[in-house]
Amino acid sequence: MSKTVRLGAGMAFWGDSVQPAITMVEQGEIDYLCCDHLAELTMSILSKQRKKNPDFGYTRDILDLLRGALPTCAQKGIKIVTNCGGANPRACAEAIAGLARELGVTGLTIAVVTGDDIEAMIDDLMVEGVPFANMDTGQELAAVREQLTHACAYTGCEGIVEALGRGADIVVCGRVTDIALYLGPLIYEFGWSPDDWQRLGMATAVAHCIECGGQATGGLYAGGWKDMPDLENLGYPIAEFAEDGTAVITKTPGTGGRVDIGTVSEQLIYEILDPNNYLTADVTADFSQVALEEVGPDRVRITGATGKPRPETLKVNMGYRAGFIGETQFTYTWPDAYAKARRGLEFLKSRLERAGFKYEDELVEFVGQNSMWEDRVELIEGADLTEIVVRYAARCADATEARKVFTECVPLYNNGPAGVAGVGTRPPLKELFALWPCLVPREHITQSVDLVEV
Amino acid sequence: MPRVVDIAHGRSGDKGDTCNVGLVAYDDEGYRLLCEQVTAQRVKEHFGSLVKGTVARYELPNIKALNFVLTGALDGGGTMSLRSDHLGKVMYAWLLRMEIDTGRAVRA
Repeated sequence: MSKTVRLGAGMAFWGDSVQPAITMVEQGEIDYLCCDHLAELTMSILSKQRKKNPDFGYTRDILDLLRGALPTCAQKGIKIVTNCGGANPRACAEAIAGLARELGVTGLTIAVVTGDDIEAMIDDLMVEGVPFANMDTGQELAAVREQLTHACAYTGCEGIVEALGRGADIVVCGRVTDIALYLGPLIYEFGWSPDDWQRLGMATAVAHCIECGGQATGGLYAGGWKDMPDLENLGYPIAEFAEDGTAVITKTPGTGGRVDIGTVSEQLIYEILDPNNYLTADVTADFSQVALEEVGPDRVRITGATGKPRPETLKVNMGYRAGFIGETQFTYTWPDAYAKARRGLEFLKSRLERAGFKYEDELVEFVGQNSMWEDRVELIEGADLTEIVVRYAARCADATEARKVFTECVPLYNNGPAGVAGVGTRPPLKELFALWPCLVPREHITQSVDLVEV
Repeated sequence: MPRVVDIAHGRSGDKGDTCNVGLVAYDDEGYRLLCEQVTAQRVKEHFGSLVKGTVARYELPNIKALNFVLTGALDGGGTMSLRSDHLGKVMYAWLLRMEIDTGRAVRA
């Protein structure tokens, strides 16, 4: 019987529910639980936390997840591969070790994979000729160098492969790619060569389909949300990989949702650019000829992806402080809801102007009418609306300016037109971290693996 | 007139200030109509001021899907955007509204 490796997707982002992962290790048959905790913005937030407290800077939801899942994983021999280490994988591993001791789980090897954080290397690398120019705009890094909050390279799976080879039960990484969390266990288990582009490309397509968790199993499904069963108990996806990198995608038995050609194909085209060249740190995958086949209830076979050599550069995610968003909203009711809302908006803007308000950009949305579509939806002047919500947001260079938005809105309650509600209490200011996407030649990035024994 | 929603479903998301919108046809005829009528040019016009940059179209024929890549589409990107939909999660819905000429008479 040929070997099958079963990888489950436990988390899709920091803050995702941890219950699907706990249910999966209890009810599903998996060899590895792969958990992606990092979105584009997450590293900025985690770096900020680490700079305030050297014990922080990882996504602490991993502790909630492991509190529920670790005893079962230890008992069944399920290994966990995660990028929850964020900006501080070592502190994360220590916290996990502490939790394991508290839970009475022993004989555990936790690996720490680092090497993605290049913040301290930026100046040296620039001297060596790495420009870190913005990939989208071509701008030089000097423009934002002083405002940087973090810089990390999207690293590949080689550290994970090494960690598993050294006996790790839990692999805690920083900013490795989502895909690496899956390719690492597969290379380790099947013994694939790191330049087996065909298998890596195929497996990348599978990993891409499942790495956003419930989005492959009926969550967010536009093709038929009405009859999607038991979304409140959505099961997360599991891929049963064959040695050639193809897989059957299924989900935790006894859970809600569905796996069919519709749910998998909708996720296959989620957040991709050119499907012929899906760039990762480990392979350039080609999804263009992917084929799906339903081979049983909640079972879809995925084949047809291929791969090409990995890029010579790694993508670097840098973040920099970029001011604040001040925002407010208010609701006007019938009669003349829209006309009053317009007058209320004029009131707000006029008061802001008198307060010397300085902003970089502003946006008005009429919620319930055009808040998603801006001028694509025309508002009818005399429409007989029962109510309308106005949302006003502005980007400001500093916090003092951003706070004025709410301050100048509050007087609407007793100075503006009648029929207003919903201004609420002062919302927290949203600090902005802009992203600076750039590249680094891969020879400058080396991962390292350390072990923590419990 | 029928719309894209009658022949396909979709999903959208973000990569920086770029938004991708994927459409998956329900059947072969739907995919033929998508390929024929939902051109990059029409998509660019359909999104109008929401998309400041370019629109590119890619085909995934075995799953009857088209992928549209919209640059300058998220008011500076998820971390900077003032929009309620700063991550482009519902941009697909606007494309589902696009009208399609099926070449058949539509009953009144």
